[in-house]
Amino acid sequence: MESKIKYSEQELVVLLNGQSNDAFNYLYDNYSGAIYTIINQIVLDKDTANDVMQEVFVNIWRKIKTYDASKGRLFTWMLNIARNAAIDKVRSRGFRDNQKTQAIPEGESGVVISSNPTVSDVGLQKVLTTLNEEYRKLIDLSYFQGFTHEEIAKMLGIPLGTVKTRIRTAISQLRTMIQ
Amino acid sequence: MNIKEYISSGVVESYVLGLLSAQEKFEFEKYCESYPELKEARTAFELALEKQAMENSIAPPAELKQKIASKIFEEDKTAWVVPIQTATQKKFNWTRLVAAASLALLVGSIWWIMSLKNENEKLKTDLIKTQQDLDSSQEQVAQMTLDAKKMGEGMKMVSLNGTANSPKSFATVYWDTASHDVYLLVNNLPKPASDEQYQLWALLKTNGQMQTIDLGMLELSQKPLQLYKMTNAQSAQAFAITLEKKDGNPDPNLGKIYVMSNL
Repeated sequence: MESKIKYSEQELVVLLNGQSNDAFNYLYDNYSGAIYTIINQIVLDKDTANDVMQEVFVNIWRKIKTYDASKGRLFTWMLNIARNAAIDKVRSRGFRDNQKTQAIPEGESGVVISSNPTVSDVGLQKVLTTLNEEYRKLIDLSYFQGFTHEEIAKMLGIPLGTVKTRIRTAISQLRTMIQ
Repeated sequence: MNIKEYISSGVVESYVLGLLSAQEKFEFEKYCESYPELKEARTAFELALEKQAMENSIAPPAELKQKIASKIFEEDKTAWVVPIQTATQKKFNWTRLVAAASLALLVGSIWWIMSLKNENEKLKTDLIKTQQDLDSSQEQVAQMTLDAKKMGEGMKMVSLNGTANSPKSFATVYWDTASHDVYLLVNNLPKPASDEQYQLWALLKTNGQMQTIDLGMLELSQKPLQLYKMTNAQSAQAFAITLEKKDGNPDPNLGKIYVMSNL
């Protein structure tokens, strides 16, 4: 059931702190699509994405009291919860897979880079496709795979400063495309 | 610092997307407090990102909402219920523990009571026996007290010592000189044959003639220190016991004197 009423973020935060059924319905009806999309851009299979989706909403629901409006919008806060949960899930899987396949020799770099996460036709991923290959890879590694700039520098054999600059440039390009 | 350069460096987008290091993030938040234009830039990108994300979203499977709702609200309930369940569980365990302990106590108590009961029964039997013994002792004491009374003032005690026939034999005669009652205490006499019986005599010497006076037959009982009431003796100088045929003789068999007092 779609909610007809439109709340401001401030009102929604108050509503969420009340922990009512109505608050949940409004939250889910308005934000589940965007959150589901970001999860699917990081997590590879649907079942896992559904699991992460549940985790994310439970976390939003429980951690709403820790949300600080002075540091950003509610949507940003929720989006980051979703992104972190999805990356954690993929990494815990990747770790297990690596454990299993430890004996199998990997590529020269020793790092497997997934340059095309699943949902590529929506959201940020859609925007990503418009970037050149190098920037796309950097955004993918940092944003969708959650690697730190230091890790990326090591993986790609590029100086840390260069990684930072290139990522900022890539992001700036993204911004112009978003706006 | 040049805030315009900072804003256009990509730091705003990196902050919103969660790509800054902890240090960079801390700095950014601090600058936001001092530079309203930085905060404005941040909000602008957030809104743009949000709008973009909202417009390009894919809907999750329909059943997921109910699943999440029940998870949230049931877990909320469980969050409340769990401590109660735990409490109940604990209480239940506690009850079971108490029950087990009680059972152990009960079994222990029963064993203890049975032991006590057995001991009690034994004590009861012992007590009855003791009571009976006491009764009979009291009876004896009463009798002896009565006997002793009879041996009050004027009671003459005469020892009868064993003769050659039975040197170890010994008896005592209590003679009340006032009432002339004679009591015999048999300290030691051999058990006579079934057709024989002891007979007590009073000896009296008058004018150089020894006179024997029958003081009765002795019905030996098993009771110790039994005081036998004998025939009264008006006068006597000595006493003797002879072994005679059953029911006695009018005159003593002088060859069978067992005990005799001095004259």
